[in-house]
Amino acid sequence: MDPKNILAIISDLGINNIFFKLIIVFFTVFYYFYALVISKQVKIMDKTLQDKYNGLVLLITSLQVTVSLILLLILILAIFLI
Amino acid sequence: MENNNKKSSVFYSYSLNPQIKFDTQEKGEKVYLQLRSHPFTQIGWILTSIFFFIFLIVLNFFIRGFFNLEQIFLFNLFFIVFILSYIWFNVLNWYFNVGIVTSKRVIDIDFYAVLYKEITTAQLGKIEDITVKSGGYFESLFDYGSIFIQTAGTEANVEFIDVSHPTDAVQVINKLLSKKHGS
Repeated sequence: MDPKNILAIISDLGINNIFFKLIIVFFTVFYYFYALVISKQVKIMDKTLQDKYNGLVLLITSLQVTVSLILLLILILAIFLI
Repeated sequence: MENNNKKSSVFYSYSLNPQIKFDTQEKGEKVYLQLRSHPFTQIGWILTSIFFFIFLIVLNFFIRGFFNLEQIFLFNLFFIVFILSYIWFNVLNWYFNVGIVTSKRVIDIDFYAVLYKEITTAQLGKIEDITVKSGGYFESLFDYGSIFIQTAGTEANVEFIDVSHPTDAVQVINKLLSKKHGS
């Protein structure tokens, strides 16, 4: 499995990949905004209730935003640059 | 509160004298008890998550013939991200829905679907009646149930749903009420 092929699937305009591309675009954009909203809410919750595991919760939430951002960047890279 | 035998138990769902702070906490207000839903009540989404993982594994056998390796990789990546997000969403829902008993009041903090926040407070002096409801096979086995705190006047009633050791929690509240009323 070549990583270039993975990007090629997203950037390829072939009819076979349209279904995949639509799902990936929809999911990635939705997931990015979802992660942002969750992150914002967790910050509000953290202010409301300061518990000893809040640091871990904030860390995992930041990780979720980072993952969503990486997915979005891969998508942009594949669609516009290749 | 030192004589209560359950200091902290079942995955942090019952904590006596916890080291927490909340935004509306007054000066000198001490937190005696923190309650969350019993972990067993979270079994629904835990089983659903396991089902999703099994479904993904089974699905991989079927889609192998229709899609190439890279497509399957992307499909799996997004599916796993979806499952992990679903798990995290439910963990947050559980973690931030707490009941707090302080030296001055009882507070119920709810975050419905993570997006909606609702905080209900009842002053200890306004509490009229406390009801514990715990019935059924699993409630008895895992010692969890709901506490309904009725207040006087226009103050909202407070509910702690499916919390661990409800009887012990009510004992703590009753002790605080006795202290408050000086008996």
